[in-house]
Amino acid sequence: MKSHADTLCVNFALENDKMANSKIMIVDDDPDLRQALRLRLRANKYETVNAVDGYSAIAMAYKERPDLIILDLGLPAGDGFVVLDRLQKDDKLSAIPVIVLTARDPQANERRVLRAGAAAFFQKPADNAELLDVIRASLNRAGTGTVLPS
Amino acid sequence: MNGQSTHVLLIEDNPGDADLVRLRLVQANSAVDVSCFNRLSDGLASIKEKSPSVILLDLNLPDCQGAETFRRVLEKAPDVPVVILSGQDDEALAVKALHQGVQDYLVKGAISSSGLERAMRYAVERQALLRSLEMSRKQQLEFKNQFLSHVSHELRTPLTCIHQFVSILFDGLAGEVSAEQRDHLKTILKSVNQLGAMVRDLLEASRAESGKIRIEPRCVAVGDLIRQAVTMMQLAAQEKEVGLEVGVDTRIPFVHGDPGRVLEVLINLIENGIKFTPPGGAVTVQACLVQTDPDFVYVSVADTGCGISPEARALIFERLYQDPSAVDNNRKGLGLGLFIAKELVGLHGGRIWVASEQGNGSTFSFTLPLYSLAKLLRPVITYQECLRDDLVLVKVVLRPLSKQVRASWKETCQHCLEILQRCVYLDKDLVLPPMTTHGAEETFLVVASTDLERAKIMMGRIREQLGRVPDLNGTGELEVSASAVRLPDGAGRSLEEQVQEVAGAVTEMIHSVV
Repeated sequence: MKSHADTLCVNFALENDKMANSKIMIVDDDPDLRQALRLRLRANKYETVNAVDGYSAIAMAYKERPDLIILDLGLPAGDGFVVLDRLQKDDKLSAIPVIVLTARDPQANERRVLRAGAAAFFQKPADNAELLDVIRASLNRAGTGTVLPS
Repeated sequence: MNGQSTHVLLIEDNPGDADLVRLRLVQANSAVDVSCFNRLSDGLASIKEKSPSVILLDLNLPDCQGAETFRRVLEKAPDVPVVILSGQDDEALAVKALHQGVQDYLVKGAISSSGLERAMRYAVERQALLRSLEMSRKQQLEFKNQFLSHVSHELRTPLTCIHQFVSILFDGLAGEVSAEQRDHLKTILKSVNQLGAMVRDLLEASRAESGKIRIEPRCVAVGDLIRQAVTMMQLAAQEKEVGLEVGVDTRIPFVHGDPGRVLEVLINLIENGIKFTPPGGAVTVQACLVQTDPDFVYVSVADTGCGISPEARALIFERLYQDPSAVDNNRKGLGLGLFIAKELVGLHGGRIWVASEQGNGSTFSFTLPLYSLAKLLRPVITYQECLRDDLVLVKVVLRPLSKQVRASWKETCQHCLEILQRCVYLDKDLVLPPMTTHGAEETFLVVASTDLERAKIMMGRIREQLGRVPDLNGTGELEVSASAVRLPDGAGRSLEEQVQEVAGAVTEMIHSVV
């Protein structure tokens, strides 16, 4: 990163533009929640793709190569932990940041999820502003290796 | 006893009585096998090996007499039925024995063979019945917890759905919304959030009841937590036109507490205060030290609300209790908040109580144990009963590079702390327990028994070791700095006073650097 302040600002704007087209995969078995999340993400200029279970999550991740994954834990055909594990073990997919968004209890799951390689844990219902912030930060970190000036 | 061989443990010091009991037992049931001890300690020692099906106990033994005798037996063998064979017909003692878990109290002179045999048989049956009742009570408790955990999980999904779609409408993502519609949507959102909080409390209360709440205490500046809680509640106070004020002495020492949990207690109390205070009133949060109880910090939340009746005061921390006379325009909630607060404070080793006069406001107070820096520092800052010559405070700051980092960062910080502990000399240096942090930045402090010049070597070691942490490499930056601790003039002062003074100086430095 260049040190000149003006350059930083330009970089910042470019980063934002690039992020605006980031593709986010939503993995949730509840169609209403998928729709709500899709509306919210599209309103923030993200592209979205869907997966409805653990099996299709992996297949879809291969096919679509999303920039970020939002993952539910309770899923048919391989729960969220199975998906996390398979993503981590796959060289082509392990760099994709995963944000876990689940109704399950944080005391029992947050640590486990983070150990398994997730970037963040949110319990449903999550605060939208906070979720969007973390999505932005995770994309930033994963994307090009450059970092937002704060 | 099902006709099988029964093993009876007889603890009786009078050989005549012992023979008589043995004779009666054999008369009634030939399959019985009796081992007899005349001292309580010998009898107790045999339990493990012999695992008797029933214990017959005299209360006047050479090494123990009276109520103490059965207390010790019950403690040692809570699952074995105990029948007392006493020389005295003492009804009061008999009742006491039964209350404590003894199965029967027989008077020696009045026992027949068949009576004794039956008493033993019934004792065994009753004990088995009790045990199965206890088992099913435990199973039911477990079932209730599982059920609540399941229910709160299942409730969250539709709750999330409502929350998401209402906020989509509210934010205008599905078309323009009129001011009136926005108002209505805001009401829905508020109710959804209330519902969410109730679902959380439900699970939390059931956990508290079964002792499953975990706390992770740290060294915490309680004043910071109070200010944080007040900031979070300011909006709610303004909406109701209730003043919300803080009075915290800046010299309040650190406490030993789980910051998230203490914040939870504070928010709960402040929320209650606002709820029960009419517009124009005020809620005041304070922290202070009390001379008569020097090991604790006292935190209080006082309101100018309707007050609490004496009857309600006695019950207010009970689960599900709600004051029937509480004047409140809002909905009531589940009556779990104060119960959870009490459990959380209790887990910290503190206590919680309320003082109130009806019509004249209430003050909820709780205590948190002080974090004694002096006790922690003493072994490393003294050498052969003298204060060391030089002390340095080394500050290590881990700063995430992007603004929003969540819990994987916490793991990185924990890992760094472990490494830091390996960078110091255990007998001369002390890595202070982690402090509460503002945002994601984590600050670790090391008190090192060395001068500034030599501290540089340690700092170099820390930079080198932490620089190798892969997660820190990409996502955070490291800052290491040091400053000397001003040491007191030792002349004419006890070592204890000097240690206290150093602890005070270090506390002040911590306040200024964190």
